[in-house]
Amino acid sequence: MIELRHITKAYQTPFGPNVVLNDINVALPTGESIGILGKNGAGKSTLLRIIGGAEMPDLGKVYTDGQVSWPIGFSGGFSGALTGEDNCRFVARIYGQNVDRVTDETRAFADIGRYFYMPIRTYSSGMKARLAFGMSMAIDFSVYLVDEVTAVGDANFKKKCQEAFSDRSERSSIIMVSHSPDTIRQYCSRCAVLNRGGLELFPSVDEAYERYAAYQAGDVI
Amino acid sequence: MGQINVINALVLRETRTRFGHHQLGYAWALAEPALMILTFLGMFAVAGRQPASDMDSFGYMATGILPYLLFSKTTVQVSQAINGNKGLLFYPQVKPLDVVFARIALEFSTYVVVFLLLMGANVMLRHEVSVSDPLLIAVGFALASLLGAGLGLIFMGLGQLSNVTERARGPLMRPFFWVSGLFFTVDSLSPRFQEMVVYNPVIHPVELVRAGWFSTYDDTYTNIPYALQCALWMILIGLALEVVTRRRIEVT
Repeated sequence: MIELRHITKAYQTPFGPNVVLNDINVALPTGESIGILGKNGAGKSTLLRIIGGAEMPDLGKVYTDGQVSWPIGFSGGFSGALTGEDNCRFVARIYGQNVDRVTDETRAFADIGRYFYMPIRTYSSGMKARLAFGMSMAIDFSVYLVDEVTAVGDANFKKKCQEAFSDRSERSSIIMVSHSPDTIRQYCSRCAVLNRGGLELFPSVDEAYERYAAYQAGDVI
Repeated sequence: MGQINVINALVLRETRTRFGHHQLGYAWALAEPALMILTFLGMFAVAGRQPASDMDSFGYMATGILPYLLFSKTTVQVSQAINGNKGLLFYPQVKPLDVVFARIALEFSTYVVVFLLLMGANVMLRHEVSVSDPLLIAVGFALASLLGAGLGLIFMGLGQLSNVTERARGPLMRPFFWVSGLFFTVDSLSPRFQEMVVYNPVIHPVELVRAGWFSTYDDTYTNIPYALQCALWMILIGLALEVVTRRRIEVT
C-alpha cells in the first residue's frame, strides 16, 4: 500500500505559485498495477518523483511498504562521464545489492553491446532507456514507478519491457503515469485521474478514461 | 548502515568522475597544486623574496597553499553538491548531505595524500627531515576542511534561494587567497595587521600546518578554538539553510 497524505506541491512561476498537487489524500493498493492519467503538465511526473522520494512535497508525506523504484523512463541519474557499467555499479551499491549480479543482469537485459563499457554521453536516448530499464529489473522492486517508459525504444524493446513486467507481476506491481489510456490499459487494471491538483482513483481503466475524457472536453471541471 | 553504503558509493563514483579511468587522472590531482606551488615559487624568486628564518622556499609555499586549497576546494565542491548532482537525487537513498559528506571526505583524503607526496619528495630532495609536530599538521588540515565545509554549506543553501550565489562565490572567496597567510607569516606582520588578520579563520589552519612542519615557526597567534568556533557556526548555519531549502530542490 502506498498512502499519500496531504500531498501538496507548488512551483514558483513569474506569474505566482502554480499549485500542481493540491492536498492529495489517496491510498494506492500495491497488489495490482495502477495507471495515472493526466494531461501534459498536470503534475504526473512530479507526483511520481514524490512517490519515489526523489523530490519532497511542500506539505504532506508518503507512506510506503516495500521497496519502491525510482521513476523509470527518466534520463537523469546517470553521470555522462561514467560508463554504463560504472553507473550500474553505483546504483547496485546504493541499493545494497550484489554489484556483480546487478551488473551482469543489467548488461544482459539492456543488450547494448560494447556501449555498456563506454561513457553514457556517447549513448543515444534509446540506449540510456535500455540501460535504466535493465538496471531497474536487476534490482527487485516491489513497486515500479513508470514514467512512460513505453514511449522510448523500438517495438522489440517495448515488447521486452512488457514481458519483463508480466514475468514479475506475481511479486511486483506498477504505478504508471501517462496521457495515453491505451498504454495504461496494457499494463494496469485500475486507474486514477490527475486533474487540477486532485487525484481520483477509479475501479477500472474505462471509468477513469470516461472521467479523463470529460475533463479534456471541458464538460466537468 | 544504508547511508554508509550510499556515501561509500558516492566517494567511489566521484573519484571515477573526477579523475577518470586513467592513471593520469590521479596525477592531475597532484599536478594542479604542484604547478601552483612552483608558479608562486618562481614569482618569489623573480621578486627576490625569501621566506623568513630557516624555512625552505618549497616547504614554506606548500604548507601555505595546500591547506588553503583544501579549504577553497572543499568550499566549491560542497557548494555545488546539489546543483552538480541533481540526477543522483532521483535515487531516494541519496540525500544532499550524503553528497556533501562524500565530497568533504574525497577532498580531505586527496589533499592529505598530495601533502604527503609533495612534502615527502621535498624531504628526499633536501635530505632533511624536519617534521616538528604531525599532530598540529593534522589539526590544521581538519580545520581547513571544516571551514571549507561550513562555508560550502552556506553557499549551497543560498544557492537554492538565489542563483546569484554561484556567480558571487568566486569574487567573495578571492580575498581569502591573499589574506590567509600563503605569502606571509603572521609573525612577520606589524602588530596592527596581526590583530586584523587573525580574524580570518582560514589563517589559523595555514599557521598550524607551518608550525607542525617547521620547528622554528612561531605560532603564538594561532587560535584553534576561534577557528573551530567559526567552522562550527558556519556548519550550523549551513545545515539550517539546508533544512529550510530542502523542499525547494527540483529534480529534473
